[in-house]
Formats: sequence, C-alpha cells, structure tokens
Amino acid sequence: MYIPSNTSSLFVGKKFLIIDDFQGMRSLLREMLKSFGTREIDTVTNGKEAIAFLEKNKYDVVLCDYNLGSGKNGQHILEEAKYRELVSLATVWIMITAEKTADLVVGAAEYMPDDYIIKPVNEATMRSRLEKALAKKEILVDIAKAARDKDYDRTLALCDKALASSKTNTTELQRIKTGTLLSMGRYDRAQQEFEQILAKRDVPWAKTGLGKTYFYKGELEKAQQIFRDIINENPAFLEAHDWLAQTYEKAGDLEEAQRALVRCTELSPNSVIRQRNLGEIAHKCGDLETAENAFRKTIKLGQFSIHKTPAAYLGLAKICSENDTPGEALQILKDVHKEFENAETSLHAKVLEGMVYKKAGDRINSEKVSKEVASLVKADNGHHSASIMLDAAQLFLATGNKEAAENIAQTLVKNNHENTQLLAQVNDLYSQAGMSAMGEAIVNKSRQEVIAINDRGVIMAKEGKLEEAMRLLGEARTLLPDNKRIMINLANMAVMSMRQNGKSSDLQQIADECLKQVAQLDPQEKWCAQFQIALDAIPD
Amino acid sequence: MEPTKEVSPDLSAFLASAVHDMKNSMGILINFLETNLPELAPEAQKKAAPMLYEVKRVNDNLIQMLAIYKIGNRFYPFDLAENSIGEFVREVAEQNKKLLEYSGITLEVDFDEELAWHFDYELISGVICHALNNAMHYTQNKLRLSVKEDNGELVIRVEDNGGGYPASVLEAGNAVGKGVDFASGSTGLGLYFSSMVAKLHKNCGKTGSISLENGGKYGGSCFILRLP
Repeated sequence: MYIPSNTSSLFVGKKFLIIDDFQGMRSLLREMLKSFGTREIDTVTNGKEAIAFLEKNKYDVVLCDYNLGSGKNGQHILEEAKYRELVSLATVWIMITAEKTADLVVGAAEYMPDDYIIKPVNEATMRSRLEKALAKKEILVDIAKAARDKDYDRTLALCDKALASSKTNTTELQRIKTGTLLSMGRYDRAQQEFEQILAKRDVPWAKTGLGKTYFYKGELEKAQQIFRDIINENPAFLEAHDWLAQTYEKAGDLEEAQRALVRCTELSPNSVIRQRNLGEIAHKCGDLETAENAFRKTIKLGQFSIHKTPAAYLGLAKICSENDTPGEALQILKDVHKEFENAETSLHAKVLEGMVYKKAGDRINSEKVSKEVASLVKADNGHHSASIMLDAAQLFLATGNKEAAENIAQTLVKNNHENTQLLAQVNDLYSQAGMSAMGEAIVNKSRQEVIAINDRGVIMAKEGKLEEAMRLLGEARTLLPDNKRIMINLANMAVMSMRQNGKSSDLQQIADECLKQVAQLDPQEKWCAQFQIALDAIPD
Repeated sequence: MEPTKEVSPDLSAFLASAVHDMKNSMGILINFLETNLPELAPEAQKKAAPMLYEVKRVNDNLIQMLAIYKIGNRFYPFDLAENSIGEFVREVAEQNKKLLEYSGITLEVDFDEELAWHFDYELISGVICHALNNAMHYTQNKLRLSVKEDNGELVIRVEDNGGGYPASVLEAGNAVGKGVDFASGSTGLGLYFSSMVAKLHKNCGKTGSISLENGGKYGGSCFILRLP
C-alpha cells in the first residue's frame, strides 16, 4: 500500500491562487490544498480578477483552469502574467484542462505552464504534481535567474554543475543549456550537444534544436529536412511547424511558409502570434482571402491577449483597401488610434490612410495626408521602423512628393545598408512608381556612403587610431541611429580600447547601448552575444 | 415547397465532441462515487463497488476513443517527456486505490525508484489503468504492477492471480501487434488502443509493443508493455 511521504514542508508558508469559473471546482481545489497543509489561498473567477490579484500579490503557486468561459482563457492569463513579470521565475503555474492541446504540451516554451493536469482532478495527482513542480523550481530558480539576466557563462556553469550532481531534471537542464549556447551564437557547440542527446534518445525538442542550429548557420535545406522529419514522426509538434514556416520564409519560399502556418493555426487556433504570422505571409503571397481571415481572427483573439498587435489592424486595412472597400479600411485605421495609444502606430495608420484615399481616387485627401506625414517624418528626423518608412515612401511616391520620398529612401538605405531584402524593397517601390533608374541611384549612392565611412573607421582602428575611429563612427551613429554594422563596429572598438587601457565608464556605456540596440533591432544577430561575452570578460 | 437541402454534417467531428462531453460527465460521476461511497456501510460499499468499476470502464473507453480519433487525424499532441517511474507508479496506484479497496483486491508494486523514462504520460497511464481495470475483472484477489528496465527497454507488467487469459484472448493479443485490422472485430478496443500507443513510442529505430501471456509471479494473466 502506498502511503504519501511527509513532504508537507513543501506546502507550508506558500501562497496559492486558484483561478476557476466554477464555484464547485474552486472549493474542491481549496479543500485539497488545505489538506496538503496550505493556509494562504486566494480564489478568483475570471481573467480580469486574476490579473488584478497577480498585480497586488506574489504567489508561489497558481492553479488555473484553462477554459474560463467568455473573456480571457487560462493561456491568455499565463502569457500576460509572464510577459508583465507578474509572476516570478520561481512561481509554479499549473494549468487544469479538460483536454490536452498542442499549445499546452508543445507550444512556445516561454509561455508554457510548468505542468498541466487533465480533468477530472484527483487529490493524488494534484499532490504529486505540485510536489514535483515545487521541488523542480527550488533546483532551477538560480539557473532561470541567470538565464533571464543573460549571464550566459553563469547559466552554463550552473547547468553543468546540476547535470553532474543530480539525475533528476536532466531534460530541463539540457534544454536550458542548449538554449543558452544558441543565444550565445555558439552553434557548433550547440550542435554537438544536440547530436549527443539525440544519439541516446530521439526526442523532438532536441531534434528541433538541431534544426535551429542549421537555421542560424544558414543551412536552410538541412533545417527544412529536419523539421519535416519531426513533423512526419510527430504531426502535432507545434514548435517544428513554427520553425519550418520560418525556414521557408527565410529561404524565400513564401507559399510553403504559408502552408506550414496554416497547419500551425489548425493545431493552435487561439494563438494571436500565429494568426498574425499567417496573415502577413498570406498577404505577401497575394492570397488576400486567407490573409483577411487570419487578420480578423488575430484582432478577435487579441482582444484578451497581451500579444494584441497593430500589425493585424494595419494589414486588414491594406486588404480592405485592395478589395475596394475603403470605408471599412478607414474605420479600421480609426480604431487603431483608439486601440493603441502609441505615436509610432498612429503614424503608421496615418500613412495607410493616405494610401486608402489614393486607391479610392480621392486625390485631395491623399495629398493632404501625404503632406502631413512628410512634416511629421521630417520633425522626427526619420527615426521610425522600416515598415512605416517603406509605406511612407510608397505614399510619397504615389502622391508625387518626390523630395520626401528621396529623403526617406536615403535614411532607410543608410540605416540598413547590409539588409539586401530591404534594399530590394526600396528598389521595388521606385520601379512600381516607374522610376527604377532613380531608385537604383539612390540605393547605390546611400549604400556607398555608409560603406565608405565604415571602412575608414575600420582602417583607422587597424592602424591603432582607436579614438579617432570611434569619433568617426560615433558621429555616423548619431546620423544613422539604426545602422547595425556601425554599432557593432563601435562596440567592438570600445572593447578593444578597454582591453588596452582598462575599463572606462564612457566606453562601457557606448558598448552597452550599441549591443542593446542591435539586439533589439535583430534578436538573431550573433555578434551581439559574442561581444557581450568579450565585454563581460574585461576586468574591473 | 422545395425540400431544404441538408448539408451532411462532419460526423466524426460531431462524435468526437459528443465523446468529449460524455467523458466530462463520467469524470463528474466518478468524483461523486469516490466521494460518497466511503459514507456507506461496508456491506453496501462492496455492493456498490461494481458501479464505480463500470463507470471507470466507460470513462477509459471514451478516453481511448478520443485519443484514437486525434492520433488518426494527426491532432494528438504527443508529449514525449522524461518521467520518473516512482511518481508514475504511485500516481497510477493512487488512482485505483479506492476501487481496489472496495473490491478487496491488493496491489503489489515493484519498481526502481531511481529510474526515469521517456514516454507520453497520459497515454501510458491510460494503457496501464485500463490493463489494471481488466485484471481486476479476472483476478481472485491480487494484482501486481512491475516496472523495470530490461536490455535498454522499459518493461511494464500487469499480472494477476486469476485463471489466466483464455486462448482466444491470447491469440487476439498476439495478432494485434502484427497489424490485424481492428475493424474485423477480432480484437477489443483496449488492445487496439494499447498497441497503437505502444507503436507511437519510438527511439533510435526501435518501436514499442504489447503482448499477453499466462504465468508471471502469480501464475495468472500478464499484460506486458515494452517501450524503447
């Protein structure tokens, strides 16, 4: 006969939150927790209350019903709580669900619950799952902290120590360790680890990891093959579908990417991000019907989600305009100003408004909006996201505002002179306006200018004139605040200089700022992680 | 008046959702019985126990049907995770504790506390609970659940001290592993489900399997699940 071991110490002093819309279930769970020795238990009935309680209190354990009737579901609450850091890394989140779904089991790792329990809930299962999750948190909390702080070396060291000393949680530790290696850009090491794991145990997460290393190394065909293999063996493994779509997109095969995303949204119909991705790809493929559907779903699902995104509204407005329903397009753009109180998004909506008028043949309004946008962009020195700038350039060209178009095209090219995809988009805009020669001239000239400055800086640095080189690139950075290459070189020079002359707070600040911004612009930029390591290695 | 044309419904999706609904009702019923049976007098408890047994059987069958439907439609979120064998055995034992008590059956467990293995927890727990439930029907008064590693495989055995499987069941058990068609009616849903789940578990070129035999520690029937 099995007698539960006396582990109530794990429960004593812990604070619990129960989220469930049924009174019967709430009291059942509460009685269970009390019998385990818990005293501090809060209960709430819906997502809104849950968020309010999570904002006010720190909980050790959250027991959350997945299906909460109308409004936010359990996954929405979990995502918002994690995103807004309402729960800490030490918080245990257990989802209670009537049905095992792909999102819960093989969804995005950062938004997965610690465990899930399938109804009906019984005391034995609840107790054993809670004990397991709490014990695991105790072991992993330091590692999770180091990982969140992007202290890669410490994360790796802690993982290795834990892997060597304990047989439990091996998978979790291996996942964190390999994930850290990928974040550091150490793809060969990561690949080696994944291959070692796979030699013993054919697990889809490690196989997906191997596919990711090929993706990052640019070996897209190998990556595709691996993701397809995983899906063959394990058709509902969401992460592999996500990555397959990304790989196709990177390889330029948008139709296959769309097919993969369609399958993703079938498996995970309530994911805002996946619906938005599908909408964007389908739009690029010219499949307006799929795109429209996906954007409408994104907006509907986004109502309750932290991942609510203007991209779906803007995309849908573009499609309505293309479908010759300008009235609806303008209404959606109006909604954008209301739903997202954000200057950048409002500007983008304004740009699209001009395009809608233009498409509808309303010359007066389109030129009026075009002028307004031009003065706004000028006032901000053109410091906006590339997608807004591209749309703005298109509006300027369509409304005959050549000077504004040229300014914006130059800024775009100079800030992104190595981004071939974007340069091609600028060229396309000019060709569509029947000015391809002019477009090419602008792109080439602007590109050459930046390359020349960069080259000069690098040569100076090689000649040992680090200070002069940094001054040159520092000035270039003020003018081109989004140019990754300039920032990476600048960070590198700061590191070199500190290696020679010791730490300096000014240089440290420059390097930190540059790396942070590059990482923001392009989370996959591998140089960032490597310079960060070099930067961290400089002695105080 | 023209007859209205009815769009033919997607029957399998309808059935799946109906099964899902029934499963939830069974869950409530099981909870009700497990909470209220202890309040009966011992004699009445023994009389009512078969009710719990039958309800659990229906629940098992519904879970199996739903899983088979989802796997067939490539929608089942197969969760190949590393699980502690100690926790697994304890949870399975605890889930069946009440029914075993009422029925006067003892369950012996034999496992390696340190062992961990990769499998889909819900599916394997479904297979083993079903096997235990079956064995309860055929045993005199003893069951044994053993989980051991043997030659790179995890071997889970459910044994009893009853009279053993009749020849026809042994035959069906051996045939199901060799791909005999379920629709021909030669095997039960439980065996089909167990075999399907076993085959989903693959590792480095090896595949899981089930088998039936008579003998084991108590000389009764043995259900054996092997996972690579």
